Amino acid sequence: MKLHVSTGPHVLTREVTQTLMLDVLIALAPTTVAGVYLFGLRAAWVICVSVIAAMISEYVWQKLMKQKASIKDLSAIVTGLILGLNLPSGVPLWMAALASAIAIILVKQLFGGIGNNFMNPAMFGRAFLLASWPARMTSFFLPERLLGNSQAAFGVDMISGATPLVPQKLGITLDIPLSDLLLGNIPGSIGEVCKIAILIGLVYMLVVKVISWHIPVFFVGSVALLSWLLGNDPLIAILSGGVLFGAVFMATDYATNPMQKIGHIIFGIGCGTMVVVIRKWGNYPEGVTYAILFMNCLTPLIDRLSSRRVYGMVKNHV
Amino acid sequence: MSKFSFRGGIHPLHDTHEGKDLTRNKPVRAYASKIVTIPMDMHIGAPSNPIVKKGEQVLLGQVIAEAVGGIGIPVHASVSGTVTDVSAKIMMRKVPSMCITIENNGLDEWIPLNPLGSVESADSTKIIQAIKAAGICGMGGACFPTHIKMSPPPDKQVDIIILNGAECETYLTADFRLMLEQPQKVVDGLRIAMRAMNVKRGLIGIEDNKPEAIDAIKKAAAGRDDIEVCTLKTKYPQGGEKQLIKALINKEVPAGGLPADAGAVVLNVATAAAIRDAVVEGMPLINRITTVTGKVKEPDNLLLPIGTLVNEAVEACGGYSQEPGKIFFGGSMTGICAPNEEASVTKANNGLVVFNEKEAIIPPEDNCIRCSRCIYACPVYLNPYAMKKAFDMDKMDVLENKLNVKECILCGACSYICPSHQYLTPAFKDAKDIIAARRVSK
Amino acid sequence: MSKNNLKGVFVNGIFNENPVFRLVLGTCPTIAVTTSVTNGIGMGLAATLVLLGSNIVVSSLRNFIPNKVRIPAYIVVICTFVTMIQLFMQAFIPSLYESLGIFLPLIVVNCIILARAEAFAGKNPVLDSAVDGLGMGLGFTLALILIAAVREVLGAGSILGYQIMGNGFEPVLLFILAPGGFLAFGLILGIINGIGNKRRSKKIVKEAKAV
Repeated sequence: MKLHVSTGPHVLTREVTQTLMLDVLIALAPTTVAGVYLFGLRAAWVICVSVIAAMISEYVWQKLMKQKASIKDLSAIVTGLILGLNLPSGVPLWMAALASAIAIILVKQLFGGIGNNFMNPAMFGRAFLLASWPARMTSFFLPERLLGNSQAAFGVDMISGATPLVPQKLGITLDIPLSDLLLGNIPGSIGEVCKIAILIGLVYMLVVKVISWHIPVFFVGSVALLSWLLGNDPLIAILSGGVLFGAVFMATDYATNPMQKIGHIIFGIGCGTMVVVIRKWGNYPEGVTYAILFMNCLTPLIDRLSSRRVYGMVKNHV
Repeated sequence: MSKFSFRGGIHPLHDTHEGKDLTRNKPVRAYASKIVTIPMDMHIGAPSNPIVKKGEQVLLGQVIAEAVGGIGIPVHASVSGTVTDVSAKIMMRKVPSMCITIENNGLDEWIPLNPLGSVESADSTKIIQAIKAAGICGMGGACFPTHIKMSPPPDKQVDIIILNGAECETYLTADFRLMLEQPQKVVDGLRIAMRAMNVKRGLIGIEDNKPEAIDAIKKAAAGRDDIEVCTLKTKYPQGGEKQLIKALINKEVPAGGLPADAGAVVLNVATAAAIRDAVVEGMPLINRITTVTGKVKEPDNLLLPIGTLVNEAVEACGGYSQEPGKIFFGGSMTGICAPNEEASVTKANNGLVVFNEKEAIIPPEDNCIRCSRCIYACPVYLNPYAMKKAFDMDKMDVLENKLNVKECILCGACSYICPSHQYLTPAFKDAKDIIAARRVSK
Repeated sequence: MSKNNLKGVFVNGIFNENPVFRLVLGTCPTIAVTTSVTNGIGMGLAATLVLLGSNIVVSSLRNFIPNKVRIPAYIVVICTFVTMIQLFMQAFIPSLYESLGIFLPLIVVNCIILARAEAFAGKNPVLDSAVDGLGMGLGFTLALILIAAVREVLGAGSILGYQIMGNGFEPVLLFILAPGGFLAFGLILGIINGIGNKRRSKKIVKEAKAV
């Protein structure tokens, strides 16, 4: 009889990478459904293309490089889905596919696969598109069903419009009902408009303990506080752009945020501050993407600086 | 009622009640082994020196090996019968251990016992000596000789004795059954220890998943102001010495220090019961309650003579129910694997768990996804992620000086919780061994 | 010196010790000016001329320059040539002069030129140094052209200003911008080194087998 000998623990948790990613997918489901409902079938196509492109590029890359296929851990699907939800519904499908491929190959696989990427792949994919085709990426389709009443509210043409942040940047005050902001009856990227759906996802992730509350709360909180200090309506600042989606689904990406609680707090505040800074003084009306990417780059530094007292490292004895 | 707890930790196997359901309701059953093999190095410290020869007849409780050095403790015959072998065998350690094998003649003949006296009347100055003579060492797993623990350096003021009834490890119910069936013994043991050390306060910490044990111990300790029964939150590693001290008296054992530095001494409940037996009845430590569970036909709590072989313990529970793939002593978090079926139950083995082939296999490592779970789980607030990275890059100096790997208690919480199955605890164990070896070679 | 050796020195600068892809020197102008092939060629040729001139002068003066002040001396030599090139460009190709901007005078501190003066011209005869300067300069120019071609084709859909992509092509603006410079440079560097490493390991395997 051959007995295995190993160091403990001999039983491991059933919660593996795959189940964590599945939880994230479940949390993204309400947002996805809301996005497709609001923007129509076109949005569904964009999401499908980016998800499938992400899966194919991961699989093909790992086959070409003769690596162990990790498609089963679902992380490519999460990346593809988050990227798809970050695009305007009117974006050409080839752009969605290209962004997915770049996110997976350039940002994730070239740096060593899951867990080793130093930037959020989906965020980089979006930033790539934003820098390359700014016009395409900033013309948002209005939710189809609301063309009538939105036209009056935004004073923009029927098909495309800018997020409520653009008028705000130009100094025009908008009178959008809170319910529209919450339900997503505003122009924007597919996933970012329906705040209620995002909050449902947040609650789910907190309940199943996929993420801790620190990053979302400090991110959103610092955006609200700083916007208020700068004289903007904090509610519009939070609810009109991509802050909530970014804070819940993108800033909380494990691989690219710090590992300790204090690090999470610094990261969240840093992201929020950068968003407000970019919105106020930058060239863009929205800065969530660049704010998160910027803080992603600072993550190793934050990790290095944040340490906690080890048990027993007490100064004076009893 | 407020529950005591510490920061960090995990809830292993909570969906199966930590695997304890198998033996939770099985009363302790005494079992007489046909043959015992008693290793001389069960405890921490110099191995004991055998004083019996092959062919010699021994009685129950007879000293068969003498204590060596200040930390050593004697070893007693756990069955009466004939010594059939005195030789080195591969046991639980990497190097062979000197073992005495005794064949049981089934007569259960005791040597004459000389008890010190009752709980109140025993001469308190002689208690610690009696504990040493009885060969008692920490029965929770560490096997540190109890008489040393109870004689702290004179400059350390110990004002509290904590009895550890947390039994936070998975699968084990030995301490639970002991507290349930013999609560008076446990409380008496604590009172004796308090008298011996002249300590005025005793705490008994029990996890809240053992309400019956809490009730029983409370009843046994009723009417005593100096003994308090505390309910602990069910969490692993609640029964770790440092964690227990933090949870119950909110003090930390200084790094590199002893519990006595925090003013406390922690004893296992089984150790307390053994102290009581040694003092009141004069009985040396020759048997212990061991949970035999996992893939055996009838998982049970057995009172086994020290030195019972694995195959006999399993036989006592009806044999294997499935082809075994891994057998370990202790719970699934820190259990030590038996190299073969001839390994024997020692004074520290509160459990014996059999896994089948499927359960025995540890999945391969995946990429770390930096989820921070190991950091949150660490009960000594280390950074297992950074420690593993440093270990993989062979940066032992960083591990030793910056990441404090020597404070790691090897509880296994980080390895358990890791979603990508990183081999964290094994890496830290290796690192600690390497660093210790380096220090010796310097 | 034999002819073979001169050829070796020349080819060395282009392939084995390509200043951009092998030595990773002069990356600042590399990333800054490679937005179009025209700029790349202009910058590359300017640097080549400076290299050629400075290598020849440094080499011929190598026995007269005191060791302790050799770096300032080299810089003075390089400055002279850069100023000449700059004035020449301003006079005859003002458009290129405009688009290279500050990076033209910055050739003075281009590490390739100083590195060659220090590592080669200061120790070798004039002819060798001239060939080395030419080789290194051409290697630099070719590297700039390669990166600039990728960036211009992707970022503007053209090469040397001629549109080559179809009407349906939407230029990837990013490649003209600074991050695109880093991306293109990094990727090309990675590919070239990847191929080089593979070749080398194959060679090692072959040699090991032969042994």
